[in-house]
Amino acid sequence: MSSTEQGTSSAAPAEPTTAPESAAAPEVPESFYYVHGKDKVVHKVSAGALQHSALIHGMISNLGYTEEQAKANPFPFENIDGDILQMVVDWCNQHKGKPTPPEDTNLPKQKEKLFDLVLAVNYLEIKELLTYCCKQVAMMVKGKSPEEIREIWMIPTDAEDEAAEKEAKKRAGKEAAGETAAAAGDAK
Amino acid sequence: MKLSKFPYLVQKEILDNMKYSDLFLLSFVSKNTKKLIKSSQITRFQSIRHIMYDAIVNISKNDRTIADKRFLGILVKAGEEKIMKTCERLDGTKNVYFQLNVAGKIMDFRLFEKFKFLEAHFPLNDKESAIESIHNYFLDFFGVTADYQWIVKHPENFIPRLPNLSLCFCPDPYMVRDRKILETFFASHPVMKHINMRLDTPEPFSPESKLYQAESYRGSTERSQTVSAFLRHFQGRQAALFFCDCEISELIGFMNRWRSGEGSQKLEYLDMRLTRSRHLKEILNANGVKHIDASKTPPTHTVPNLFTLPPAHTPKMSPITSHSYMVRDTDNRVASVSVQGD
Repeated sequence: MSSTEQGTSSAAPAEPTTAPESAAAPEVPESFYYVHGKDKVVHKVSAGALQHSALIHGMISNLGYTEEQAKANPFPFENIDGDILQMVVDWCNQHKGKPTPPEDTNLPKQKEKLFDLVLAVNYLEIKELLTYCCKQVAMMVKGKSPEEIREIWMIPTDAEDEAAEKEAKKRAGKEAAGETAAAAGDAK
Repeated sequence: MKLSKFPYLVQKEILDNMKYSDLFLLSFVSKNTKKLIKSSQITRFQSIRHIMYDAIVNISKNDRTIADKRFLGILVKAGEEKIMKTCERLDGTKNVYFQLNVAGKIMDFRLFEKFKFLEAHFPLNDKESAIESIHNYFLDFFGVTADYQWIVKHPENFIPRLPNLSLCFCPDPYMVRDRKILETFFASHPVMKHINMRLDTPEPFSPESKLYQAESYRGSTERSQTVSAFLRHFQGRQAALFFCDCEISELIGFMNRWRSGEGSQKLEYLDMRLTRSRHLKEILNANGVKHIDASKTPPTHTVPNLFTLPPAHTPKMSPITSHSYMVRDTDNRVASVSVQGD
């Protein structure tokens, strides 16, 4: 579990604490980067742990930041809730440099938290964690009746889908008509 | 949690992690969900080789089949993955929890508690139409690339006539032994694509029997005259005969007929396990058998298994590796000839 410090909305992030590293000390000093979510809490994460995220790995691979520059420029993930980013950072730290096990039982059991985690992990491109999350989402409907599945995954009925489709067509028609009228007005 | 709020690739990953039976259940939730499953699982569904409508035979006191219950399953690497169960309602009771639209037909279902998959219930007199709807739904959902196999375990089993449905005859040897009953069965039904049965009738089947027209045959065939008739008349692609008795001259005769293009033209694999040692290596010296230099690595001949019954799942027939081979005169087709344990 990485420790964090409450951040502020000011540009300079508060001094974060270091995430625990594996027992074996690396030969070369490891570089660290800083990320924060919607709640502005800054997490200090090693480059090794961040390798799980293809998105962040791609961002940092050519930066060549010094420790000070990295600290001054945390990566903002405003679309990710703070507690979800915390979960992601914890997972990356726990699995840093280790082969990922076939299952992960520490994922949130609450539907909405799992939903947010899936979106965050997909955005951050953490493939293994996404697979675990998707397995857990799939398990939610195992052996359930179609009606139960509909409730769990909030799947609209055919009638609702048809009504939504009609509505979307109507809206698109109106928008097109509006654009035509505007274009005609411009021409005058 | 709204499934539709996930990006497509996430939806696909979720569906990739679901079993066939759960995807099948999910497909009934809405038309759009069914479309999503079909489009995201194309590769997975196209890799399905066999979908089996396996009979669970119930026998009453007077030795007659009284109901046709079936497990519908997909053969996967680990064995069979059951998707649903079908049951005829015999007593008219309505032990049903929900209805689903199966290819335009509203049918009664409940969840089969033990394995958590769908169990379809239909009245006896509606069986034909119910099976047709289920089959049509399967064809639409899983596609037409798989071999859909209807297992017939007793000559009195219901046999539907539907497109893309192979009939497979796998009777219990202790229930069905009478050759006349079997002859009548084969004569009165379409050709069985696969047969897995014991052939130990004193008289061989007539040369015109549709038994010999099966694409694959597997089973014990003990009597030499039955084996001899089989070798002469079988027109299919694969055969595996176990516990059989056969004269060397009969085997050589079979090989000569194959080599001249006179018989067994479609045959691509024959495995015979003999009960008595007959100095079989003699056949390797028969006319027409050629040999690769012993110092060279012999080729290995493998073919996919056309029919495999659960729980065993053997996607390929046992490979044949041999220095001996024959070449068919009519088309230069090569057959490896292997003799083991003589």
